Amino acid sequence: MLGWLLLFVVVPTLMLVVISFCERDSLGRVIFTFSTENYVRAFDWMWLKILGISVWYAFLTTVICLLLGYPVAYFIGRSSERVRGLLIMLVMIPFWTSFLVRTYAWISILSQEGLLNAALTSMRIVSEPIGFLYTPFAVVLGLVYNFLPFMILPIYTSVEKLDNSLIEAAYDLGARPARVFGQIVLPLTQPGIAAGILLVFVPAIAMFAITTLMGGGTNPTIGEVIQNQFTKARNQPFGAALGVLLLVIFIFSLWLSTKFRRAEDQ
Amino acid sequence: MTSSNEFAPVLPARRWWLPRGPAIQRVFFGTWTAGVFAFLYIPILLLVFYSFNDSKLNLQWVGFTTKWYGLLLQNEVLIRAFQNSLIVACVTTVLSVVIGTSAAWLLYRYRFPAQQTLGLLIFIPMVMPEVLMGVSLLVLFVNLGLPLGYTTLIIAHTTFCFPFVLVGVQARLQGIDPALEEAALDLGATPLKAFWLVIVPYLMPAIIAGALMAFTLSFDEYIVTVFTSGADSQTLPLKVYGMVRVGLNPQLNALSTLFIGATALLVIASQVFSRNKST
Amino acid sequence: MKKHTTLLSAAIAGAMLLAGCGKKDDTLNLFVWTEYVPQAVLDKFTEETGIKVAMETYSSNEEMTQKLFAGGGNYDLIQPSEYTVEALIKDNYLQPLDHAKIPNLKNLAPEFREMPFDPGNKYSVPWLSGFVGITYNAETIPGPVVGYSDVFTANNAGRIVTLDDSRELVSWAMTASGLPINDVTDENLEKIKPLLQDWMSKIKVFDSDSPKTSLSNGDVDIGVIWSGEGAILFNQNPKFQWVLPAEGFHMFIDSLAIPKTAKNKEMAEEFINFILRPDIGKMILDEFPYYSPNAEARKLLSDAERNNPASYPPGLDITKALLFKDVGAQGSKVDELITSLKVQ
Repeated sequence: MLGWLLLFVVVPTLMLVVISFCERDSLGRVIFTFSTENYVRAFDWMWLKILGISVWYAFLTTVICLLLGYPVAYFIGRSSERVRGLLIMLVMIPFWTSFLVRTYAWISILSQEGLLNAALTSMRIVSEPIGFLYTPFAVVLGLVYNFLPFMILPIYTSVEKLDNSLIEAAYDLGARPARVFGQIVLPLTQPGIAAGILLVFVPAIAMFAITTLMGGGTNPTIGEVIQNQFTKARNQPFGAALGVLLLVIFIFSLWLSTKFRRAEDQ
Repeated sequence: MTSSNEFAPVLPARRWWLPRGPAIQRVFFGTWTAGVFAFLYIPILLLVFYSFNDSKLNLQWVGFTTKWYGLLLQNEVLIRAFQNSLIVACVTTVLSVVIGTSAAWLLYRYRFPAQQTLGLLIFIPMVMPEVLMGVSLLVLFVNLGLPLGYTTLIIAHTTFCFPFVLVGVQARLQGIDPALEEAALDLGATPLKAFWLVIVPYLMPAIIAGALMAFTLSFDEYIVTVFTSGADSQTLPLKVYGMVRVGLNPQLNALSTLFIGATALLVIASQVFSRNKST
Repeated sequence: MKKHTTLLSAAIAGAMLLAGCGKKDDTLNLFVWTEYVPQAVLDKFTEETGIKVAMETYSSNEEMTQKLFAGGGNYDLIQPSEYTVEALIKDNYLQPLDHAKIPNLKNLAPEFREMPFDPGNKYSVPWLSGFVGITYNAETIPGPVVGYSDVFTANNAGRIVTLDDSRELVSWAMTASGLPINDVTDENLEKIKPLLQDWMSKIKVFDSDSPKTSLSNGDVDIGVIWSGEGAILFNQNPKFQWVLPAEGFHMFIDSLAIPKTAKNKEMAEEFINFILRPDIGKMILDEFPYYSPNAEARKLLSDAERNNPASYPPGLDITKALLFKDVGAQGSKVDELITSLKVQ
């Protein structure tokens, strides 16, 4: 495990750090020199704004996933052992289709001549088709859809180990459901919530296929921008620099949060 | 549903959803869950529906047909890509579970130098944009002299999948009763045996959840696959991506339907099987 | 810990051994665009010559060069577009073709024999070509539509799809401003910025992979897209009209070429010769409604195929087509300009 981490995580990351200080030739090959130009360029407000937009989308996605997913995880975790496994599988199975196939299914639902508009107009709720697609709404919907299982599953594993006797005792002592939830269930499932937030928020920052397909590509995200440096702009070193910055920001905030948690514990 | 509980008199009888929650709470959580499931399955139902539609376009219902299934079964390239995806995803899942679970346990149970740093490094593959991961691993593989193929693809996939297992398992480990392991050790088990016989069963729900996530992520990965796969290991996402340009083929809907149907059957069969075993 | 590392290295060594055993030299290794080489063509090639074909795919020229330069695979044949052919020739990365081995070169239309990026087909042979032009829904766009200025009007704001491609967007604005499309200097980029800014504020969807989707779903009414996409739309419904922009139109040419690292040059040449056969050319055109560089294959097309205005624009003067030249490191500036305009 340590070997794996060193060879396939640490070494490639160090390579990226090296590349981020290099230059490139006209065909995009890396020229090994030392230059801080990529970092100077990366601190332009434009890239920071793009990062901000990405973080905002990821944040919205995480909040909605948590609100939608928690009751589901709770319900599954508290249902009989027999159906638990079945229900948790059912959460994941829709995602064993190809991402693009799923997304194009959503497109055919949300488009102007799509199913949703057909239903709305035939029921005379609206007179003109609504442009659901290629809006921030569609982007958030797509993100929530694709990340929801990654919120439900870790919370489920926390709910699943809840001690029944604890909850029963609380009810026996006359606690109201809201209080039982707030003072017993929520604190005990907190590790699952934290894991779920991590598993949704972090990958969602770098996600971009959904924003281009369902958002029309009008709002570039940090993942898309970095990808473009490699697959379009022939500028690996700059892409690497943006990636390294993203990594530093993330690791720093994670380190900060563990520091705080430790301080709280003591 | 509760019949089997009668055979387990040691445990307090468990109710259907909540041990003693008010009915209104049960109804609320039940309805909410049903709503979310509806949300998850709407596009899937649509896709099943279109797989029987006699039209190349996903827009209008033209008529019932099974021709896409027939064409799919003859489409060797697509089936081959699907098999590749399945192989890669399965091996990746096993490796991710092993690495993710043991790493979580090591980080939780033991104290060693640079532990905190290690705990942070593990998140790198999660936050790293896929293209950076793909390209840097490609360069690494070339320098190691590893030819691109299944091996490189599985290594790359495992590297970004195992943190998902790790995070889930870590969450489950928090608040674990230390008496669990101590009791096993007192009874003379080696630490490895104690881990295997006591901790792993306790972690099982998290391991299964992690395995499901790892499988899903690997099965659907595109960009990392572009850079780390070889000619013999072209997976389904690579194929599907190209097909978008000429128009998504209903054969893909048929393939998804078959796969989902097969897994659903498998899951239900295993449920029925385990029920029979326990009664 | 140690045990794990030993296990790992053992696994890697084993895998290398396995992969080493599997390596055959009687296989032609293709590295081509996704879904651009029909499987039927490959099967027929294997059937006739006994040469096995292995195929890897990519979805942009830069993705291809990236993997190529990293040395990931031993590719015998690649499929770069015109500006990448030019750059690779300049870089000495391509092997000259032995024309004696490719007698079917004679089937190429004369205009494709003397392309500026590779005169005389010394290093590359065109596979397919196509245009970037305007598709519009004649039922909702009153017309007449002749050029870019009819696309990016106030009336069409929020009803436009374009390719999500920085170089394309910049080249249209340069054409519309009367600038040569390959003079991508900082000065010219600055000049076209206000025009591009105005255009891009009106675009609803950027999509290079399947711009036809938003048009056929009715989410947008007009677009600047690949001719192949336009042809598919026209076949779907003739209300989708196709126009080559009057200000000037871009033509792309995807070619086959042999990288200098290729192991099986003769097989690669045999493959090139094979796809230049009229009947094989027709097989390719049946799947991809692009403009064929193969004059003999064009003769085999059905009337419906030949009369598709997007594939074969009526009154086409191919000498007027604008070709992309490689802009080298300046590509990064082009990308940054478009990104900055999207963010605003």
